Amino acid sequence: MQQVIGDFIHALRQAGLPVSPAETLDAVNTASLVGLDNRLVLKTALGLTVAKTQENKLQYDHVFDQFFHFAAQDMAAQETDDALEQDGTDISTAEPLISENSNQDSSLVDGSSLVEDSPLADTLQSPLAQQLMQGDQAAMSVAIAGAGNAVGVNQMQMFTQKPLFTFRIMQQMGMDALNQELRELSQQEENQSLVQLLKTRRNLLREQVQDFVEQQYALFAQAEGKKLRDSNLQKVRFTLVDYQSYDRMTGLVRKAAKQLASLHSRRRKVTKRGMLDVRKTIAANAAYDGVLFHTKWKSTRIDRPKIVAICDVSGSVSRVARFLLLFLYSLQDVLPRVRSFVFSGAMGEVTEYFEQDDLETAMTKVMEGWANRSTDYAMALSDFENLALDDIDNKTTVIMLGDARNNNGDGNVKVWEQVYRRSNRVLWLNPEGRGSWDTGDSIMADYAPYCTQVESCNSLRDLTRILSGLLKNS
Amino acid sequence: MIIKHKDRIASPEIVKAGFDDLGYVCSEAIAMAVYLACQLQKPILVEGPPGVGKTELAKKTAEYLGAPLIRMQCYEGLDESKALYEWKYGKQLLYTQVLKDQLGDVMRGAKGLDESVERLQQFGDIFYSEQFLETRPLLQALREDDGAILLIDEIDKSDQEFEAFLLELLSEYQVSIPEIGTIKATSKPIVFLTSNNTRELGDALKRRCLHLYIPFPDPKLESQIIASQVPEMAENLRKQLVNFVAELRDMALKKEPAISESIDWARALMLLNVDELEVQWVKDTLNLLLKYQDDIEVVEPELNRLVRGLK
Repeated sequence: MQQVIGDFIHALRQAGLPVSPAETLDAVNTASLVGLDNRLVLKTALGLTVAKTQENKLQYDHVFDQFFHFAAQDMAAQETDDALEQDGTDISTAEPLISENSNQDSSLVDGSSLVEDSPLADTLQSPLAQQLMQGDQAAMSVAIAGAGNAVGVNQMQMFTQKPLFTFRIMQQMGMDALNQELRELSQQEENQSLVQLLKTRRNLLREQVQDFVEQQYALFAQAEGKKLRDSNLQKVRFTLVDYQSYDRMTGLVRKAAKQLASLHSRRRKVTKRGMLDVRKTIAANAAYDGVLFHTKWKSTRIDRPKIVAICDVSGSVSRVARFLLLFLYSLQDVLPRVRSFVFSGAMGEVTEYFEQDDLETAMTKVMEGWANRSTDYAMALSDFENLALDDIDNKTTVIMLGDARNNNGDGNVKVWEQVYRRSNRVLWLNPEGRGSWDTGDSIMADYAPYCTQVESCNSLRDLTRILSGLLKNS
Repeated sequence: MIIKHKDRIASPEIVKAGFDDLGYVCSEAIAMAVYLACQLQKPILVEGPPGVGKTELAKKTAEYLGAPLIRMQCYEGLDESKALYEWKYGKQLLYTQVLKDQLGDVMRGAKGLDESVERLQQFGDIFYSEQFLETRPLLQALREDDGAILLIDEIDKSDQEFEAFLLELLSEYQVSIPEIGTIKATSKPIVFLTSNNTRELGDALKRRCLHLYIPFPDPKLESQIIASQVPEMAENLRKQLVNFVAELRDMALKKEPAISESIDWARALMLLNVDELEVQWVKDTLNLLLKYQDDIEVVEPELNRLVRGLK
């Protein structure tokens, strides 16, 4: 039983459930308490011990059904008996292996009942052939699972390994001996019907093994491949993310944002440190005749920054802007006060879009309204001066995302200097690598002196790192 | 804990039947959770929307097992002096005043400071001993001789520091008091933690608990619950009521009506002698089900359609 539960936990972990060793022990204890006979009882019981959020519970249900699939098949086989009698033509399923069904099956199996009666069937030598002739499906499932364990099918990692493992399992079950025997039998004329039957059953077995491998792949390896793809996507440059990966990327951004949010969701307070709060202390100890049992300390709350995000949405920067905005608004829990502005030529505030619509719609609106015009930092910044400069105070963090390519125009650096002087912090994220700053029409060097921090930001990883730093130091 | 009625927790089915008798109709998962908690001595973390009977579960368990229920309500700023123990400062102060005169007697005849200190030390730390310890719910639960049901209500409302402080209690059933030492449970209590999900609880806490999520019940279960709580209600009306509430839960509301609200509503309908759901009655009593004016405004225009759909 420990083996079964161990494998099951392994499958759960592959599906992304964080199951700790302590919870594994709990699961084993639970299973030994309720027993493995009743599937539903086992499902509820294990669910209570290993799945600890609603989301995890859904995943758990899915994995449980997949993992204990074989047990379910046995139960279902009995129920579907009647149904099968009517549509007995379908040989491609594994069901005809069940002996009582095979009698009602198509012509081929009709032949089998003749052969089964003949003494020839008893003379079969290889163990696999005997097993096939018995046609006990439950025993066969167990045999397949046993062979699967022996060849280590749960170590599978890539989908390309599927045929390999199918082959290995068949080998393990004694395919060589069976083939050998088939060759010998087929030389004699009177054995033809038996050989035919064995061959069909062998093919059915192969299909069954393939199903088994497929299922094991889904349980143990599919998540592995996804993880690999995800970790690659984190490193890839935003500008290179193709449209097909947008959905996945969006999911990843949200996930990263959620991680950051839960890490920083705590409102930090500095207590039991610093100055004694005399007034509160005296009040708290009035009951004890003024003897100071309880001390009260002055505590300061560390406030979250107000964030003003300014995004260049022209040309290639727009893709990065998309993910930056997505990230910022996914952080709503920890950064409730985000104002966002976009520009390519003129600048406009788009905070409302994000408050009213969901992210996708808002992004589309933003892109339709502001993107793809020629870049003019001077105009944008003077717009910003009118729009929001007065609202910037010493608690504001300004994040500018742009490549500072100004089509050889004047940069209007004066406004940026004021932004820098008024705000708490100015972050400039440039999607280009440092090497290409100040080449061509880039005027990064003009703005850089008025930034607290200048970063090259081009992948989800960069974005996570920078925003994490922002939350940590606030 | 020492369970006086071992036969009552012999299997999940028995637990479920027992709860039924007490008027708490529960699903298999709930019965299983209680069964496992008793058998494995593990705390249960109960999550779910408000009003689905999380707190009630702990109360009924206490009633079922015949054990005392010790309840601790969590709130922001709750600390160990309110949850675990506190020294009786007032008493300490009073005693020092009274004992001041006694001290003279004790010291009489002592030569030099050394001897005085030695004599004083013979009395030990009288002021930080059990007599001056004021027990709060957690300590009280550990000290119950026959074990108790400890309900830590709305753990999500407490601070993260407090959650961390609970970890020792939940896994080892012991607490440390600096002046006295570690206090172990005389008999392990069965702990229920409830949470409304206002914030994500720490993984360390979740790891130590069985996790039970109580969703809104399906119509069948809800009908059973109402039948057990408001037995005088006719079956026809009960069916209509349950279906109506289920319809409401499908609508986009700020706060969906929970079981406790359906029960209240059922009681109100009985009080008003209603035999069949009619638009006017529903309109007049809607504020029992819906707790936001916005929600009422959303539902009211739909009432005709909803009520007609029931017939």
